[in-house]
Amino acid sequence: MGPSGPRVAPPTLSPMVDRLERLTDLVLVLLRDNRPKSLREIASEVPGYPAQEGEARRQAFERDKRTLRDGGIEVTAVPIDGPEQVGYVIRPEDYYLPDLDLAADEQAALNLAVAGVHLGDPSGRDALWRLGLPASAGARPVAELPALPALPVLHGALRARATVSFDYRGERRRVDPAQLRFHGGWWYLVGHDLDRAAPRTFRVDRMDGDASAGAPGSAVLPDGFDPDAALPDVPWRIGEGALVTVAVHVDAALAGLVLDEVGESALERRHDDGSVVLHLEVTNIAALRSWLFELGDHAEVIGPDEVRAGVVSWLEAVAGPA
Amino acid sequence: MTTRADAGARLLRLLAVLTWLARQGRATVSELSERFGLDADELIADLELAACCGLPPYSPDQLMEIIVDDQEVIADLGTELARPRRLTAAEGFALAASARAILAVPGADPDGALGRAVAKLEAVLGGRGLLRVDLREPAHLAVIREASDAGRQLELHYYSASSDRESTRIVDPVSVRLIEGHWYLDGYCHNVAGMRRFRVDRVSEAALTGEPAAHHGNGDAPGPGEEAAPSSEAFVPGPEATVAHLAVDGDAVWITEALLNSSSEPLADGRTGVTLAVASTVWFGRLLLRLGPHAEVLDPPELAETGRQAARQLLARYRGGAPN
Repeated sequence: MGPSGPRVAPPTLSPMVDRLERLTDLVLVLLRDNRPKSLREIASEVPGYPAQEGEARRQAFERDKRTLRDGGIEVTAVPIDGPEQVGYVIRPEDYYLPDLDLAADEQAALNLAVAGVHLGDPSGRDALWRLGLPASAGARPVAELPALPALPVLHGALRARATVSFDYRGERRRVDPAQLRFHGGWWYLVGHDLDRAAPRTFRVDRMDGDASAGAPGSAVLPDGFDPDAALPDVPWRIGEGALVTVAVHVDAALAGLVLDEVGESALERRHDDGSVVLHLEVTNIAALRSWLFELGDHAEVIGPDEVRAGVVSWLEAVAGPA
Repeated sequence: MTTRADAGARLLRLLAVLTWLARQGRATVSELSERFGLDADELIADLELAACCGLPPYSPDQLMEIIVDDQEVIADLGTELARPRRLTAAEGFALAASARAILAVPGADPDGALGRAVAKLEAVLGGRGLLRVDLREPAHLAVIREASDAGRQLELHYYSASSDRESTRIVDPVSVRLIEGHWYLDGYCHNVAGMRRFRVDRVSEAALTGEPAAHHGNGDAPGPGEEAAPSSEAFVPGPEATVAHLAVDGDAVWITEALLNSSSEPLADGRTGVTLAVASTVWFGRLLLRLGPHAEVLDPPELAETGRQAARQLLARYRGGAPN
């Protein structure tokens, strides 16, 4: 293929104008003049819209506007003088990224970070494109984090200090968000629950349907709210149940690994055979049960009686009739 | 023209390429296609189309000045396109989460280049302290990561949940990764003469043997960007793995998020159908205990018995009276 310099577009409006070309021209036209333009003006300046004024032209324009919005390019409608009364513009502050002033080593580090983390979709790489940073091909990932559709919404709400609402365990919850936190393999939203007037922690993967964000600035956290303190280290403390101290016996085979996990402070006593008894402070019995059964028959709840009985009846339900 | 990717996605990609070109002025085709992950034909097609875009009256002086030949792209695009676009919510999240995750890896320097980049991002985009990533640090992670980075062979004492046994393994490390909250070592295990995945928090002792790690790149080792061949400890694809079908209710759908290599679909009775590969009946029995009455094994019947057996075995322990 030889050099192909700038080609002159057909001067007449062609129905065959590629949609990508129409979209690109639309962005340039709405961005460059920095003043709102009526649809008639837009159609005369951007090749590819239906020549006749009317519903078909408006639909084509609305479709392009939606496509741009889905890609994060906001077309703003503003009142203008003239017969059409509405004009459209892409505001520079809506379009351009503020200058980040990243040094070369900082750019390289961001690049490696995005290459090193798999989030299940290409958004990280897209973000690098946006910053004009090279995509690192071939880097081996260091970490894989689950990607959930609610995460960008919640993160956006946090940045905008907006109240979020979502369905959780069959209830609508309204929460002023304080932090999004990846912990123990799960994403959590930490915030102030408006209806319960108390700090709460929510598993993001257990939110039902879409999360929605309120107006920017609508969220007001209580003074001294500490998101780091709101999420305990162990799953059986993440819950709203009454606090109960559960004694768990772990046999010698797994005692060392389990102590590494829960910490020496939970150690109640150590037996001569190498087994240990732990005292765990629990507010979420279901989470404790799940952790316990991962240890198979190497671990057993000693007490209190009602927790031990609960484990037995759970096991009986799985075992079925003898 | 628009069959490869929809017009919206192509537009965003093109704008990204143009932004970069506007600042650079010129670049080779191969550099651009590598940088943006595009094949050269796609890239040239989109750039040639962009050369027809511009402002009315679309006379040559109002078109974007882009000259493409088979080696090089030369562009004079003005300052408007040289400024990068804002990040979408998904992009902003991905960037922040990736950077925070890498900073949370044990040994990362919070004051290094990445820490400074994140501080600048958060200062401009908002979000200081709003996103936190905690990565566990199992007792032997540091020595295992060092061995993997340096290509040194390891001797491990390892508790395998799939066999419910502790054993000593000689392993040539290939990679160490965090997957769904747990650190895993992928490596060539000399005991079984094959690639295996080890959960780092199940390693009770780790030491260097003094030998270098040999390369066993006979197609077993996962390549860049590929899923590792052993996708989880419990699921080592092979003839020994059995495919199981479960029906779970709302209290147990979490397993569709928690298990790698599972797929799910809604069932007519309102429950969720989950398909997963089972390489170890010990592991599967414990999974069924965790799911309890909220899951039912639809198929195969012998795996349904696995859960009942695991429950009876543990019940026998409880019926023997509480230990002190």
